[in-house]
Amino acid sequence: MLAVAWIVAGHCGLARAMATPAVPTDPIRLELSPRLCTIGSKEAQCEIRVRASWHAPHDESLCLVIVDRPDIRRCWEHYSEGTFTIDLTFSDDVRFQLKDPALREVLASETLRLIREAVRYRHKRWQPWNVFD
Amino acid sequence: MSRSSAGIVLWALVLAPLQNVWSKDDCGAAAQDCVAVGHWNFSIELGLGERTDPLVNAKSIPLVVIPQFSYYGKRFFLDDLDLGFTVAETDSNSFNLIASPGYDRVYFYRSDLQNVFVSGLPFSSDAVSVGGIPANHPPTLAAPNAPAAGSPSAFPPRSRRITYLAGPEWTFKYAGVTGQLDVLHEITDQNQGNEVRAAVRAPLLRADGGLTATLGFTWNSAAIVNYYYGAANVYTGGSAFDPFVKLAYSRPFAKRWRFNAFAEYERLAGAIADSPIVAEHHVATVFVGCAYTF
Repeated sequence: MLAVAWIVAGHCGLARAMATPAVPTDPIRLELSPRLCTIGSKEAQCEIRVRASWHAPHDESLCLVIVDRPDIRRCWEHYSEGTFTIDLTFSDDVRFQLKDPALREVLASETLRLIREAVRYRHKRWQPWNVFD
Repeated sequence: MSRSSAGIVLWALVLAPLQNVWSKDDCGAAAQDCVAVGHWNFSIELGLGERTDPLVNAKSIPLVVIPQFSYYGKRFFLDDLDLGFTVAETDSNSFNLIASPGYDRVYFYRSDLQNVFVSGLPFSSDAVSVGGIPANHPPTLAAPNAPAAGSPSAFPPRSRRITYLAGPEWTFKYAGVTGQLDVLHEITDQNQGNEVRAAVRAPLLRADGGLTATLGFTWNSAAIVNYYYGAANVYTGGSAFDPFVKLAYSRPFAKRWRFNAFAEYERLAGAIADSPIVAEHHVATVFVGCAYTF
């Protein structure tokens, strides 16, 4: 009886081992530098130079694009890494994406965040003895 | 520590525990009476107007180009020549400790800094001539054959230095009406006088601005009255209660521009008006112009 149980357990363990998927390959990594831009309360836009770099475990053919900025695209064919530097002016978060050459599949993405300075307000003092108050 | 300093410290100690209770407000960028904390604010008034000068032989003070600035920190503030510290604040109440320049000097010196922020850049730095004698002359005694006491020319010329008054200030808002009460003491060791300023402002046409009416008064102790308008053996006044009324209209017409117009009438108390160097029993101010905020 004990032997039967051992065999069943062994088969179950084997089955579980066979069901375990293969170790996934490293994903393509996309990094931005800087990753955020901080602007003051009176500034409407951020103007900075951004460096986007990517690394892949194997040679890839892909393109780096910015969402809602169709004019910006940089493509590589059979490379395992790449770097793209661009001067950007933006007033909202900017999303970078690595896509396949047909621009259908998103392989990796990263967001350049826009941080606005938090402004605190308080009541302005009334000055009855100021002629303009 | 002087009595006035001790009083200010006492006020701070009494009100300080309330600051956590009275620190919530709903100020925002869109609110007209709110300012960003930690930012300098600059504006300039451009227009045409004047303020009468009640002194004998004095010309009216022109109102043409008037710069204004302010800085509000979390509690500290600088508002033109006033500076202060907010002890407690809510939407409807504010308790400040302030220091503010003595006002009456503006009638004697066109170069007084208050005239820059009240009437614009002075056209001359000369003191106003009182009874034909420049007011910035050192104090002198009246000659034995001087005209009879009570005439302007018998008034000994002397300087009137810049003074600052300090004390607590309470501002409140209720049902659209804004009120303010200042209880001040002279702290620059020139006259040791006291001053009470009080005013209420009510909208006449719209709750959020437009046409407003302000009623108020300034009460000066005899020490302040005599510092400006008195002279030993010539004239000694008592305390002075000066009420005023002001009608003002203000309306924005562009992003940084605002139209401003107002008329103000201040009645001078007998303690001031009876001085031989004072010719008018009132001070009237009118202005029509625009404000540009930088």
